[in-house]
Amino acid sequence: MARTKFPAEVLTPEGEVFSDEVEMLSTRTVVGSIGILAGHEPILAMLEPTELRLYRSESEIVRFAQAEGYLQFADNRALVLVEEALDPEALDRGTLETKLSEARSAAERSQEGTEEKARALRDIRRYEAFLAVGAVGG
Amino acid sequence: MASQRDVKNKITSVKNIQKITRAMEMVAAARLRRAEQRIDALRPYADALRRMTRQAAQAAGAEASRLPLLKEHDSEERVGVLLVTGDRGLAGGFNSQIIRAGVRMAGELGEEGLQSSWYATGRRGVSSLSFRGYELSGTYTGFTDRPSYADARTIADDLIQAYIDGEVDRVEMVYNSYVSPLTQKVTHERLLPLSHATIAGEESEDSAGSSRDAETGPRALVNYEPDPEEILKRLIPDYVEISIYRALVESTAGFFGAQMTAMRSASENAGEIITDYTLQMNRARQAEITQEIMEVVAGAEGLS
Repeated sequence: MARTKFPAEVLTPEGEVFSDEVEMLSTRTVVGSIGILAGHEPILAMLEPTELRLYRSESEIVRFAQAEGYLQFADNRALVLVEEALDPEALDRGTLETKLSEARSAAERSQEGTEEKARALRDIRRYEAFLAVGAVGG
Repeated sequence: MASQRDVKNKITSVKNIQKITRAMEMVAAARLRRAEQRIDALRPYADALRRMTRQAAQAAGAEASRLPLLKEHDSEERVGVLLVTGDRGLAGGFNSQIIRAGVRMAGELGEEGLQSSWYATGRRGVSSLSFRGYELSGTYTGFTDRPSYADARTIADDLIQAYIDGEVDRVEMVYNSYVSPLTQKVTHERLLPLSHATIAGEESEDSAGSSRDAETGPRALVNYEPDPEEILKRLIPDYVEISIYRALVESTAGFFGAQMTAMRSASENAGEIITDYTLQMNRARQAEITQEIMEVVAGAEGLS
């Protein structure tokens, strides 16, 4: 049975990547996986890098590899703000692995508690998540 | 008077220059359009991020002011000054007005007994600051034609780190904000510490219409994952990043606008010079002809 639809928007600093009515939205917050249906209670959540799925219908799913960001659901509208939202098809395994190993060595180089360290750790999580997304898709 | 050929050579070289300035004007115009699109693309994200920061800050209440980036340092000694310039010149006063504004600001800070730490983006800013003998704590170049979010993050990370470590007690940014293709406005913006007023102050602008009850009503029911304070801890650096990114993108658009204007007037000036030289060349040619006629007439008279 078709579910009620609600408007969802995905924004990045580079522009809007998705804006349409969806039946369900699924992603992962720092607390855990979350699925949003129409009429969800208002929420403001911090998102982890993972696969973002937007269900236009049961069968039509739009997928993105999302970086860190935020999810806001209010007045029956979903708003996803992420630093990057990439088409999983466009992910290149080789590039991601290079970036991942760069981030790993940066993490080893940098000192504990610095912004550099935090950035490297964040990058590691991001590229690992992107690789996982790519593996599922490919 | 210069000979005909001399003037002709000059005309040719000015014409070549004019061709170059025309081409640069057109390239700048095309890039300006792209840069304008990027400002438009960024706006919804930046606005939404600002709204979320406000919401989280309100929910966190007094807890928020304990965050290191919101807390003012007890005493101010050193101010970080971030100048946003371009990698290239040929854009009129675009870069120099930023450097002038920055140096003036440092002078004013000096009068208050504060020292300045310099940070600059764009080769122009970096080279003219080091030429003037200023020591730069951070330089960021090579991306001003097309800044990416990651560039803004690198700058933000450095500034945030410097603020947390106490190397600087305040961070100010000077950039050209984009008003229209013809106008860029030199803008000062305080990046750190983010005052509560900055975050909450914008509320009156966008939500002046909505009543207070609407503000307090649904907010009480909002779920936060995790706590608002935790979210705010990440939102605040993002807020700084997006402020820098916006400045970079606006500066890029401003640069192409300034370059377009500068190159247009250069082409016009070249046109004027060509007209002047053409006149001069014609005059020289006429003088030559007159001279020849007089010689012929004089010769004929001598024979008779």
